[in-house]
Amino acid sequence: MRIVAPVSSAAEVVPLAEAGADEIYCGLVPRSWVERFGSAGANRRIFGNLSGEDELAEVVRRARDHGCRVSLVMNAPHYSGPQAGALLDLAECFQALGGEALIVGDIGILALLAGHGLTLRLHVSSLLSCRNKEAAALYRELGAHRVVLPRDLTVAEITALVAATPGIEFEAFILNDGCVFEEGQCHTIHLPGRLGGPICLDNHQIEHARADGAALSEAEAAMLAANDAKYREWLWYRFSCGFSVTEEGYPFGPCGLCALPQLAAGGVAAVKIAGREGPLARKLRSVEMVQRTRLSLGEGEAAAQGLARDLRHRPDLCDTGYMCYYR
Amino acid sequence: MTDIALALVDLRHVERLAALPALTVAGCGAALGWRHAPFDGALADRTIARLHVGPECCERLLPSRALLEAALAFAASRGLGVSLASPLMADAALGTLRALLHLLPAGTEAVANDWGTLHLLAAEFPALVPVAGRMLCKMVKDPRLPSAEWARLYPHGIHAAPFGAVLARLGVQRIEMDAAPFATAADFAGGRLPVGVHAPFGIATKGRTCRIGALHQNDAAKFAPSFGCSRECLTYTAALARPQATTDLETRMRGTAMLYHHSPAMAAAVLDAARAGTIDRIILSGDWH
Repeated sequence: MRIVAPVSSAAEVVPLAEAGADEIYCGLVPRSWVERFGSAGANRRIFGNLSGEDELAEVVRRARDHGCRVSLVMNAPHYSGPQAGALLDLAECFQALGGEALIVGDIGILALLAGHGLTLRLHVSSLLSCRNKEAAALYRELGAHRVVLPRDLTVAEITALVAATPGIEFEAFILNDGCVFEEGQCHTIHLPGRLGGPICLDNHQIEHARADGAALSEAEAAMLAANDAKYREWLWYRFSCGFSVTEEGYPFGPCGLCALPQLAAGGVAAVKIAGREGPLARKLRSVEMVQRTRLSLGEGEAAAQGLARDLRHRPDLCDTGYMCYYR
Repeated sequence: MTDIALALVDLRHVERLAALPALTVAGCGAALGWRHAPFDGALADRTIARLHVGPECCERLLPSRALLEAALAFAASRGLGVSLASPLMADAALGTLRALLHLLPAGTEAVANDWGTLHLLAAEFPALVPVAGRMLCKMVKDPRLPSAEWARLYPHGIHAAPFGAVLARLGVQRIEMDAAPFATAADFAGGRLPVGVHAPFGIATKGRTCRIGALHQNDAAKFAPSFGCSRECLTYTAALARPQATTDLETRMRGTAMLYHHSPAMAAAVLDAARAGTIDRIILSGDWH
């Protein structure tokens, strides 16, 4: 099972590779993209991208020196017709630099790239929401080599999906960045903080009502309020427990480490650490956590799960289940 | 002439329609308890030509066989077309959907919001008419956007050739779209396929975990993907508001879905597109708001 880690600069490649990352993924907004389209929306993140093609070349060189594959994200939720041509240019540039894979979030672009005669591997982004074997079969037919599964699948669903779909690899989230909504069917923007930030973290007040127009009873209102309080608590966990870390720097928040033995046994090829725009320390500690858990797999499922639970020294947080990718 | 379709998620509401002598927009609105007439009443006298049944945002809301059969019988008795909508699904729900698809007469539309469903339709249900739903026809639909410039970050590719090629490969015969914030009539133009537009609500986002669906769960089970809700979304709805925001579109949560209500300008854009023949169907939200 391979560990897939994010980078936002060439300087991050070697430390992450030495910590155990087998694959690196990164994003780039070419200068020509900004000039032509007047936006930085070449992928899902405005921030956390490399500075340009020269740095992308350096990322590839350093990764190759350390036995790491490099993937480039093309994971905006959708692209316009003119942008499709620009993505082909970017793919050819990446291939010429020695890159290995593209992570693609638009099904039309996926098919376009597959028919373009590239030698690059094509990875289906979680933005394409592969939740069933029919979707996986379609992506395989379109030329994909790997599917990055979306969040909020169960381990049972994942292992069944893997078993039912030979001939294509699967990658699952393992740490960080827990979307609240369905990433591939979320049509919102992560606005700047002053405008509200991500919609799932925005300061919305909620007012419940009955759909039939009748007034809420006191008991209903109390039950809804209690559920909302729990929802806010769950959000805190889903957003990295207030973006906090342990004394060693291990991040709290969305985590699938306990499921690593089952994912490995179920044939999942790779696990993904999210968060391109995070600081290096966070990425590094995340890779360390996954690597330590992976190394313990040979000691049996219980041992690996025990190690995973003990990493942060906060079993009480694990016990809520609210940090878990896979409950 | 643009067709008018009526969308129902909860098919028990078909009973309310059955009592109506004629299925006008105004009559259906009264029967279903709409708070506001869509398009300020401009379509009030129009007759409903099609039932658009089933959920777009939650696999747990797929109708029972009995309710779907009743809806099909009602539609046949009134001469209505039928479109069966379905959401993004895991394999178990896809099995449920497969059984429902077998109930549909040849020529019935199947509106998919999951690429896997379109793949299934192409492989196993050639007699049905595959439609790409509004969750697959992606565009920026954030009800908080302060200006149209924000949507330019990610222009939609619904009419782009690469997207169209995939739709063609899957035999898709029409598409559905939302009116995005700051929509213009031009947003709907330029494609090869007929376009249906949902009104007066768009879908900004949806989850698999469900806030209201956790209502009766114990704390440990709340907000898990393997939830076992009691379809609380059929009973409760919620308004969302940001205290300091003055330009947000009216926003609601219904089950897993966050919905926004069209502004007058957005509604006008839809009607302009209908008059121009760019869209051939308006799909009115019957009960999901």
